[in-house]
Amino acid sequence: MLQPDFVQLQSEGRDLVKSCDEKCPPEGEEGNPFNFTPQLIRVHKDHELFEDGDIQRHLYLQDLYISETEDKPALSLSEFACHISGCSAVFSTLEEYEHHYNSLHRHVCCSCRRSLPSARLLDIHIQEWHDSLFTILAQRQDMYQCLVEGCGQKFRTSQHRKEHLIRTHKYPPDFRFDKPKKDKGEKKRQQQTDTAMEVADSVCESEGVCEVMCDVPPDQPESMETRVFEGEAAHTAESEGHTDLSATGHSTENTNSEAVKPRYSYRVPANVCFGHGSVRGFRGRRGGRGK
Amino acid sequence: MRGLSFIMSMATPLTTKQAANSSQIANYSHPYNQMWRLDRVRHKAGRHVSHLDELRSKRREHERELRQARRDNQLVSRRLLLSEDEDQLEITMDTDLGEQDVVSLFHKLQHNGPEREIHLKALSKALRDPPAQLIFIKQENSMHLLVGFLTGSNASCRLQAVRCLHELSHSPHTNIAPACLPATPYLLTYLSGQSTKFTELCLYTLGNLCPESDVVKEKLLAQGIIPALANCMENQKHNFAVVEAAGFTLSQLLQDRDAVVKIIPQILASSLPSHLLSVLTPDPNFGLAPAIECAWCLHYLTCGMENNRVLLSYGALSKCSSLLVSVGGAVSERKKEDGLELLICPLLRCVGNLLSSCSVEDLSSQIADARIVVTLFELLQAHVQTQPALARESAWVLNNLTAHSSAFCSSLLTLNLVPGLIQLLSFSQGLNTMILRVLANIAHKKKEFCVQLAHLKLLSALYATLKMADQDIVTLSMDVLFMLVVSDSQVAEEFVRHDGLSLLQALQYKSEGKIRRRATYLLENHLQSYTS
Repeated sequence: MLQPDFVQLQSEGRDLVKSCDEKCPPEGEEGNPFNFTPQLIRVHKDHELFEDGDIQRHLYLQDLYISETEDKPALSLSEFACHISGCSAVFSTLEEYEHHYNSLHRHVCCSCRRSLPSARLLDIHIQEWHDSLFTILAQRQDMYQCLVEGCGQKFRTSQHRKEHLIRTHKYPPDFRFDKPKKDKGEKKRQQQTDTAMEVADSVCESEGVCEVMCDVPPDQPESMETRVFEGEAAHTAESEGHTDLSATGHSTENTNSEAVKPRYSYRVPANVCFGHGSVRGFRGRRGGRGK
Repeated sequence: MRGLSFIMSMATPLTTKQAANSSQIANYSHPYNQMWRLDRVRHKAGRHVSHLDELRSKRREHERELRQARRDNQLVSRRLLLSEDEDQLEITMDTDLGEQDVVSLFHKLQHNGPEREIHLKALSKALRDPPAQLIFIKQENSMHLLVGFLTGSNASCRLQAVRCLHELSHSPHTNIAPACLPATPYLLTYLSGQSTKFTELCLYTLGNLCPESDVVKEKLLAQGIIPALANCMENQKHNFAVVEAAGFTLSQLLQDRDAVVKIIPQILASSLPSHLLSVLTPDPNFGLAPAIECAWCLHYLTCGMENNRVLLSYGALSKCSSLLVSVGGAVSERKKEDGLELLICPLLRCVGNLLSSCSVEDLSSQIADARIVVTLFELLQAHVQTQPALARESAWVLNNLTAHSSAFCSSLLTLNLVPGLIQLLSFSQGLNTMILRVLANIAHKKKEFCVQLAHLKLLSALYATLKMADQDIVTLSMDVLFMLVVSDSQVAEEFVRHDGLSLLQALQYKSEGKIRRRATYLLENHLQSYTS
C-alpha cells in the first residue's frame, strides 16, 4: 500500500498545515476544486504548537511550575466575519453575524450594490434604477409605486411619490429607512483604485430607502459617485444630484455601463446577473426554499 | 526578613545578565523549594501566602522571558540539586557563609591541610553566589585544584568537589562552563559508579554544562557522553534518582539544534531508547519525575527524525499510547495538582509524531489499546478551557490517528464522541480547524460515515463555521460540506431546506478564491437540481 502522505511542519511556520497546494492533489477532474485528503501531520520540536507545553516544561525544570490553573487565558471562541467581498465586519456571535447579514446583504442590488431592506423594495429599486423599459414607460404613465405595501398607488415622478409618502402615510420629510448615510466621500475616493466589486463599508450601511427610491441627495454629493463602476461611468451617472433619476440619469448610466463594463477582480459566477432587471442572485427568498 | 532579602539578592543578577545580553535564562534555586525531586509535582510555596504571590509574579515574568527565549531558539534550563542541609532555616545562615571570601578559601585549600573537607564544604556554599563563581574561576589553577580533589582518594572531598562543580555548572555566566571542561572526563567516568548522590551530582553537572556552548558539547560527545549515559541507565535502572538525572542530562543534549545530525543517530544506535521506554511508567513510590524526563527525551527523539522506524521497532508507539491511556484517562477524577500534564504533554507528542511515521497496516499492531481515542477525547474536553495548548495537541494526535484509519474513524462514531467534537468547533486559535480535520477524516472514509455525521448534526455546525472569520476553517468547512452533500441526496435536501443555497450563493462573493470556486462548483454540479 502507499506510504501515508504526511505534511512536514516547518519550525518557523505559524500555520499548522502547509498550504494545501503543495502536497494535496491539484484541482482534479473537470475543475473540481475540492481536494481534501486526510493528512498525517508531523510537528517539529520548535513549532509554535509546542510553545506552551515547552514553557511548562522549563518552568518545571526551573522549579517554578504550578500545576493549578491561575488566570490562564481561556481559549477564545471563534469570530464570525461577513464574507461579502468588501465588507470587513467581524462579530463575536453567530446571531450578530446573522443580523448583520440579513440587514445589509440580503437584498442587494447587484448592479449598483445598494442594500435594500426588503425583497419588495429591492424589486422596486431595480425596476426604477436599472430597467430601461421602466424609464421609457415612466415618461408616459405613472410608474413610481408607493413604497408602502398594500397601498398600490403609483406616481409620475419619484418626487410625487415622496410627497405622497409624507402626506398620506405620514413619513417624516427627511425619511430614511435606517441610519443616515455617513460621510462616504473620502472613502469613495480612496476606493477608486480598488477593483469594482470591492466597495467598502458603504455597502454594508443600509441607506435611506427614500433616498434610494427618490434619489434624495445625500449629505455629500460626491458620495453619489462611485457605487461600483470604476472611472467615468460613475462620474456621469449620478452627478445629477437633485433631480430624480430620470431618463437622463438612466440613459447616461446605461450608455456608460455598456461602454465601461463593470470590472471585477475575479470570475463572477454565471448564475449571478448584472444588468437590468434580472437581479436574482442576492434575493434569498427564492423558490425551492420552502420555509 | 532574611529569606526575602535572599530572593532579592538573587533577583538582581538576573537583570544584569539580561543587560549583558546573555543567551540563557538563569536557573536560580528558589529558597522555598524544599525538594524538587518529587514523587509528584507539588505546589512549592504553599505555606506562606505572601510568598505565594511573589512566586506567582516572578513566575509570570519568567514565563514571558522563557517564551521570548524559545522564539529566539535559546530556551535552555539548568537544574540545581540542593544539598540535604538546605532548608529554609539554613538559607538565612547560608547568606552569612556565602559572604565568605572565595579567594581565601581557595588559598586555604591550596595548602591541602587537614581541614580541607571543611573548606571545600564552605567553598561549595560560597559558590552559590554568581559573583563568587566568577572570582573563583579567575583564580589561577582553581579548576586544577578542584579536579585534584574530585579524583583524589578522599571520598568526602570528592563529594564536596563535585558539589562545587555543580554550583559552577549552574552559573548564569557563560564563561564558566568552558572553564569546567577539565573536569568532564572524570565526571563521565564516575557515571558508572555506585554512589547515588555522587552520580546524581555528576549527571546534573554534566546536564547543566551540555547546552552551554558548542565547544563544551563537542568535547562531551568526543569524550563519550552517550555511551556513558547508556551504561549509567543500564546499570542503575532501579535507582530512580539516577535515572531521572540521566534522563535530564540526555534531554539537554537532545535539545541542541544540530541534534539530528550529531547526536540522535548515536543515541538510536545505543541501548538508550529501550531504557527510556522501560522507565516510562511512573513508579508508584518514586513517582513521576523519571518518567517525565524520559518522556521528554523520547519527544525530542521522535520529532527529530523524519522516519521513526527505529523507535517504532522498539515498540515506542505501543508503549507511549498505552501509557497515555492509563495516565491520561479519567482526567476528571484526578486531583488538579498532580502535575500529570508534565508527563502527558511529551507522551502526546511522541504518539503524534510516531503516528506520522506509521503506516496504516502497522497501526493496529502498534496501538493495541483502542481506548486511545477516548483518552484523547477526554484530554481535549478537559483542557479546552484550562490548558488550550494541550487541547490543541490532543486534537492534532486525533487527526493523525484518524487520517488513514477507518477503524479509528469508526470507533469515534460508535463511541459517540462525535457530538462532543462538534461542540468544540466554536473555539478558535486553531482548535476548531484541527477538530474539523478529524471530522473530515471520518467523512472521507465512506459515505455511510457521512450520513452518520449529518445525522449527528454536523451540517448545522457547518452553517456556523462557514461564517467564521478564519479562512482556513471556512475552506475546510466547504470541503466537509461537499463530502456530506454528495454522499446522499437526503443530506443535500436537508442542506437546501435550511437555506443552504443562499449561503453558498453568498459565499460566491467571498474575497478568497478557494472558497468562491468551491461554492460555485457545488452549486453548479451537485445542487443544480435545487436551484431553479
